[in-house]
Amino acid sequence: MSDAARPITVHDPTLRDGHHAVRHQLGREQLRAYAAAADAARVPVVEVGHGNGLGASSLQVGRARLADDEMLSVVREALAHSKMAVFMLPGWGSAKDLRRAVGHGADLVRIGTHCTEADLAERHLGELRADGVEAHGVLLMSHMAEPDRLAEECVKLVGYGACGVGILDSSGHYLPADVTARIAAIRAAVDVPVMFHGHNNLGMAVANSVAAADAGAHIIDACARGFGAGAGNTQLEVVVPVLERLGYRTGIDLYKLLDAADIAERELMPAPPTIDSVAVVSGLSGVFSGFKARVLDISRREGVDPRDVFFELGRRQAVAGQEDLIVDVAAALAAKD
Amino acid sequence: MTHNRRSSAAVLGAGLIGADLADRISRSDLLDLRLVAGRDENTPGLRRLARQGLPVTGGGVAALVETGEKIDVVFDATSALSHAAHAELLEPLGGLLVDLTPSQVGRMVIPTVNGPDVLAHRNVNMVSCGGQAAIPVLAAIARHHRIEYAEVVTTAASPSIGRSTRLNLDEYIDTTQDAVREFAGIRDVKVMVNLSPARPPVTFRVALSLLGADLTDASVRTAVDAVAAEMRTFVAGYAVAGCSVHDGRAFVALEVAASGGRIPRYAGNLDIINSAALRVAEQYALAQHPADQEAS
Repeated sequence: MSDAARPITVHDPTLRDGHHAVRHQLGREQLRAYAAAADAARVPVVEVGHGNGLGASSLQVGRARLADDEMLSVVREALAHSKMAVFMLPGWGSAKDLRRAVGHGADLVRIGTHCTEADLAERHLGELRADGVEAHGVLLMSHMAEPDRLAEECVKLVGYGACGVGILDSSGHYLPADVTARIAAIRAAVDVPVMFHGHNNLGMAVANSVAAADAGAHIIDACARGFGAGAGNTQLEVVVPVLERLGYRTGIDLYKLLDAADIAERELMPAPPTIDSVAVVSGLSGVFSGFKARVLDISRREGVDPRDVFFELGRRQAVAGQEDLIVDVAAALAAKD
Repeated sequence: MTHNRRSSAAVLGAGLIGADLADRISRSDLLDLRLVAGRDENTPGLRRLARQGLPVTGGGVAALVETGEKIDVVFDATSALSHAAHAELLEPLGGLLVDLTPSQVGRMVIPTVNGPDVLAHRNVNMVSCGGQAAIPVLAAIARHHRIEYAEVVTTAASPSIGRSTRLNLDEYIDTTQDAVREFAGIRDVKVMVNLSPARPPVTFRVALSLLGADLTDASVRTAVDAVAAEMRTFVAGYAVAGCSVHDGRAFVALEVAASGGRIPRYAGNLDIINSAALRVAEQYALAQHPADQEAS
């Protein structure tokens, strides 16, 4: 590999994406314990918040135990080395939420939009740039768009002020070649760092992250024990040594990282994420893994097979945020039976 | 119907909302479209309207002011960030201003809730497409129940949302929340917006979740059905896609399909706010020319 010693920035959204796995119920001590452990391992970026980002606590996607302000102040205090990142989806959070997060000491802000909707981030990225805040633009549900389209959207994000761009495999749908094509197209189109965020529905998260790095990605997202929606995310303490073995430099202390992951398993989750039947179906159908808890609840109530609900949601191209469709789909399936 | 009995009208902005509004005004028996003012003659909206023979200019609000003509009703379909300046420029012309941006400048109007307010205010605001769909239902349910919390999630198809709305998302949310508080009397409110990239595009949808200890299936269903029937008198594609109550939590899904006109069926968000704007403007026009009420 020509750039074998290339540095990779590992971005850790355990305390944000992991929230999906516990209905957004992490408490202060849990946040503090994991943030301190990740910081000790020199994980470069620790992201925190409600699973759907700033301002998203709601009946639609789940109410968080702690307010955004509280989460940010606890994690800020626990970080001495790592940057603190926040995530915000326009339409769910607002500029007010961003200003408060920056006030709490957020070092890095990610603005997310669905894969073809980069221009929803124009105003917020512009305001962050004007305020001198490091802001990245990221595309959710990215399997729904072709590589060239994703590259075009990333060019727009850079134009609005993003100093980093990337794609999320929100449904855990990609195979490595899909990732290679997309990261390569984006790399060819922009000069800023490129990020990949994997989910493990089809057991591909680490392989997909390696494919992203090999295609030129600079930032890899990963969570301790894969703590995240559904089947979970790319497993942090696995992907880091894998990248190191391949010759990439992450700057992370392996033993302390393994300690942090052990703390995560002990303190944050009832059990590590697993690729159960529903997770496989959600990955195959291209539906956001974060739908899992509600799909299971509502399927039980309506007496329908949650796998059928996921496939029907996939047919309707439901995107993250459209959890209200679960009720309609389950009721329609119940009426058919 | 005689031409000179109609009220004169102009539209500022020729994006998705402005261009459709111009079409509707040109078909109105009560309004006479005098000018559509965009900022660039080469935008698709203005070019199409010009080809249809409608009066257009690329000179923006300045061109409208410069005509010196008294226009009875001016619709502002630009951006929330521009509306206050437009209102100031147009104030001396003395007509009614119908604002389709979420600017929070004028008196908010939801036709089935406070329609007659248009007769007492010179600047009325149409809140938002989500507000126009949700608030009649929320107000009807809140009339009979104590609602502790209401949540409104709107999902619109990507091609139905133009650039100004995308830039104004924060204002859209704030304005819609304020309008729910005011018209439904529900203090704790959260509004969220999704844009769907799905192909073919999805129909405009508004999902409501309400918390209230005394909510029942029957009472919510009765209120929702009555509102839907009233809404369909001027928004034909207004439909109830779901309505249920479980454990003190009501869920109501509304879908609005556009009907008639040039806009595609999925773009019910454009249909509902433009139908509402046209309705209040026509109400105003009728009050200006009461004789037309018998003629029409």
